[in-house]
Parts: sequence; C-alpha cells; structure tokens
Amino acid sequence: MEDLESKCASLRTKIAATEAQLAKLKRELQEAEDARSQNAAAAAATANATTKEQPQTRSRWPLSGEEYRRYGRQMIVTQLGLQGQLKLRNAKVLVVGAGGLGCPAALYLAGAGVGTIGLVDGDTVESSNLHRQVLHRSKNVGKLKVDSAIEYLQELNPHPTYIAHRAHLAPQEAPDIFGNYDLILDCTDNPASRYLISDTAVLLGKPLVSASALRTEGQLMVLNNPPRPAGSKTGGPCYRCVFPRPPPANSVTSCADGGILGPVVGTMGLLQALEAIKVLSSTEEKAEATPPSLLIFSAYSTPQFRAIKLRSRRPNCAVCSAEATVTLESVRSGSMDYVFFCGTVDPEDSLSPEERVTPLQYRNGESTGPGRHVIDVREKVQFDICSLENSINIPMSTILASAYSAPAKDADGQKPLPSWLPSQITDDANNPIYVVCRQGNDSQTVVRTLKELGLHRGGERVVVDIKGGFRSWREQVDPDWPEY
Amino acid sequence: MSTFQVHYFASASSYTGKNTESLPAPLPLSKLFDTLEANLGDEYVDMEADGSGSGNEGIMIQNGDEVAVIPPVSSG
Repeated sequence: MEDLESKCASLRTKIAATEAQLAKLKRELQEAEDARSQNAAAAAATANATTKEQPQTRSRWPLSGEEYRRYGRQMIVTQLGLQGQLKLRNAKVLVVGAGGLGCPAALYLAGAGVGTIGLVDGDTVESSNLHRQVLHRSKNVGKLKVDSAIEYLQELNPHPTYIAHRAHLAPQEAPDIFGNYDLILDCTDNPASRYLISDTAVLLGKPLVSASALRTEGQLMVLNNPPRPAGSKTGGPCYRCVFPRPPPANSVTSCADGGILGPVVGTMGLLQALEAIKVLSSTEEKAEATPPSLLIFSAYSTPQFRAIKLRSRRPNCAVCSAEATVTLESVRSGSMDYVFFCGTVDPEDSLSPEERVTPLQYRNGESTGPGRHVIDVREKVQFDICSLENSINIPMSTILASAYSAPAKDADGQKPLPSWLPSQITDDANNPIYVVCRQGNDSQTVVRTLKELGLHRGGERVVVDIKGGFRSWREQVDPDWPEY
Repeated sequence: MSTFQVHYFASASSYTGKNTESLPAPLPLSKLFDTLEANLGDEYVDMEADGSGSGNEGIMIQNGDEVAVIPPVSSG
C-alpha cells in the first residue's frame, strides 16, 4: 500500500516536472515559429519585389506544382480561374475574432490560399468554445485563441503567411493594424467592436465582410464595397448606414447567455469566407454593379435564407457621408468612445442584504424550513438541464412578457396577480419564497416584481433571492452542479 | 380584410414570441412602430422608430406587403 502511495506521489512529481518542461518547449517553439513567419514574410516581400522587376525568369508558371494540385479544384471554377487564384495569393485578409465566426472563415480562407491572413483576438480557448470554434482542439484549452488557430491553419496549408495579433482590437491600434490588410472580416461578438471595425475600415478604404450569429439565427453583409472615400455616392454602405444607432445595451445577448448552435455560426463564418473570396477575386467595377444586401439565416424558419436589399450610403452617415464627423484621429484618440456610444447595462438594482441569502445560508436553513418555495427563473431549457428538487420554474421571459401586456393597476391601486404565479405560491401566504437564477441578476429583478405584487405582505412573508444564483451554488454548496 | 405581414427576426421575435403576424392594411409606414409598440411594449421599438430615417414618412404599407423588423444581431 505504502509502496503504491509513494509510487503515485513520485509519478505525480515527474508528470508535473515534465509538463512544466513541455510548456517551456511550447513557448520556445511559438517564439521560433513567430520569428520564422516574420522572416518568411520579409523574404516573400523581397521575392515579390524581384518578380515584378524581372517577370517569370525563374519558372514558366506563376504557381508552384504543389499549388496547382492543391488549388486545382477551385481554379477550374469559371468564376475564380487562375487570375482569381493569383489575386487570392496576393491578398492580405484580417480576421477580427478567432471564435465561432472567425474559425470557419479563417479555415476556408487558408484552404483557398489567401496569401496573408491576420488574426486578432485576446481570448484563450475554453471548453465551452469547442462545439463551434472548429480551429481549437481540446489539447489547446487555455492557449491563446490566435495561437491555437494558427497552429491548425499551418498544418492545413503551410503556404500562407499567418500573423497573430494577440489582443482584443483597441481603437488606438485598429488603424495601424488595418492599414496592413486589403480586406477585413468582422467576426466579433459585441456592438462596440462592430462599430469600431466598420468605422476604421471605411476611413482606411477597406471593404468589410460582417457577420453575426445567436441561437439559431445569423446575419451577413458585405459593407463599404466598393470602398470609396467618405462622401462618394458610389461607395458601398457601412455598418452605421444599416444600423445608425446601437441596440439598447440591455437587449444585447451573448452566446454564453443566449446560446448558439455550432452549424448556425459555422454557416455564417463560411459565408464570410465565400464573400471574401468573391470580393478579392473581383473588381471594383463589378462590386459597384452589385447592390448591397443583408442576408438573414434563420435555421428553424422556412425559408431559411432571406436577402433584404439595402439602400446605398446614408446621406447623413457619421462616417461614410459628406457630413462625416468620425475621423481616424477621433478613433485613435478615443474621442469617438465606442463603449460609451453602445452603452453599458446598468448594474442590477441591488437588493438590500436582508432581501438576500447566500446559497450556504439557504442550504443550512433547509432543515428548519419545510414549506419553502423555490422559484427558479431560468428559461425552461436550462431548468431541464438541472434543477433543485421541488423548485418551481417560472421563466424570466414569461415574467417579462406579461409585464408588457398586464394592466398597470386596478381601481384599488393594486396590481392584479399575473397568470404565471402558480396557486401554490398565492394560496399559502406564509411560506417563504426563494428566487434563484443562473448568475444572480434576474433573481433580484423577480424579488422586486413579487414585492410589487404584494406577495411579501408588507414584510410578514420572506421573499428573498439566492445571491449569485447557481454559479455561487456550485462554488459554495454543490461542486457537482453542472456548469453549462 | 386587407392585411400585410410583419416578420420578426432575432430579438424582435424573442420579444413578441412569434416569427410573423398579420396587421390591417393600409398603414402609413410612419405609424408602424406606434402600432407595434401597442403590442410589444416600448423598450425595443422606440429606438427602431428613431432609427427608421427621415425619408420614409410618405410610404404607405399596402395589402399584401411584407415588412420585416430586423434588430442587429451582434454576437458571434
């Protein structure tokens, strides 16, 4: 027994030491690979310069033998052809965001032989990314997304130059980064980044392929195409022309909160790659003749795809019109403040300490309170994943929907009880009510709502929320609680 | 009865709980958001009405027309 104990301990020590060494080697490899790709880029730049001066002296053919074999199937498609392939090889594309959109987009652009692909992202890979962010593999959880993505892309196609920008796009740096590329892909996940990317692309004259996805729906637009200067009526519309004002901050939902199906966001990323290939292999004249449109994908509707024709540039657009007020300087300096422009969600009206219990307090009080009601306000689909025994599910969306349609107050100045309140809550006026949700925000809102409905009977009945929701529940009470 | 079809996308369909509905036509486009607001609550639609631009007031929604409410999706 003791032998086995010490053997286990010794093995653990050895594994830890080897893992540390492996991590060091990986860092060194990363640095060496970076240096190599920078050298390759510099060499390629020199080589290009040379070829231009003495065309075709070294080879009869513009592509290598391996490239003809690799790209042959797409080069024999009329719309692309050899000329299109050469344009792709000379193109520099920046993919902002290496997540659900950026992974499939970069994957297909690399496969198609785009000469230089830059990736911008400051996040690291998490397990919850892997169902849709197809460049990241389980072994790379914890690694920077751009490094994880480039590792995969290198293996897929060693010809392109891959450039890692290992930070979230910041307004101070965006113009300098964008300046090195021909085309931008917006694969980000928030309104502030979307406006920053569109503004910078317009101001630097770069076409932009913008896509987004949530739950079962996606949107796709090719913007600023052709990329004419501000005030030009023949240039394509920008993101601000389509959505001049950001959506209210509290209506913006992330994939973490709202959910996302992998193939939905994958479809949108692939369509971005396709539109990028079309823009790069085409001409500005053809772009001018193609009316701008917004493509909407709704996976569970019929038809699944709808294309909405867009208008041309807005005559009063803040960026691309003759009346433009946003400049490169205002972007760089921060006087165009994107976070302020898009707003932030007001922190939840915090309940007072007496109106809240921690998960631990709730658990410890369990034996003394047999008649407690727990209202779980997560959506039903989350309730079905895991729930507390005997808890009642009243989804937040049901509560909010009835708030819109309910009559404000009756003749006595008292709100009528809404239909979503089950009789077991209303019949028994004494048993305490505990409200719980995923993170501890919605539960506070609902405690307020219940009190407005008079359920606390002026303080005689306990109506409290479980602080921090199931996230804290997991930390304080039940480490086995599913973390979805 | 003359009607037109409203299609809701993304968060507009979450708010309304439906993908589409029929409303009586004709209706001036400028009145659309007032009409929807009665059904929807003002939080979301107000902003859309502001955003609908100045050139649209004269447009009349006719029998059989289709109107889409398309809030931006920003995640990805």
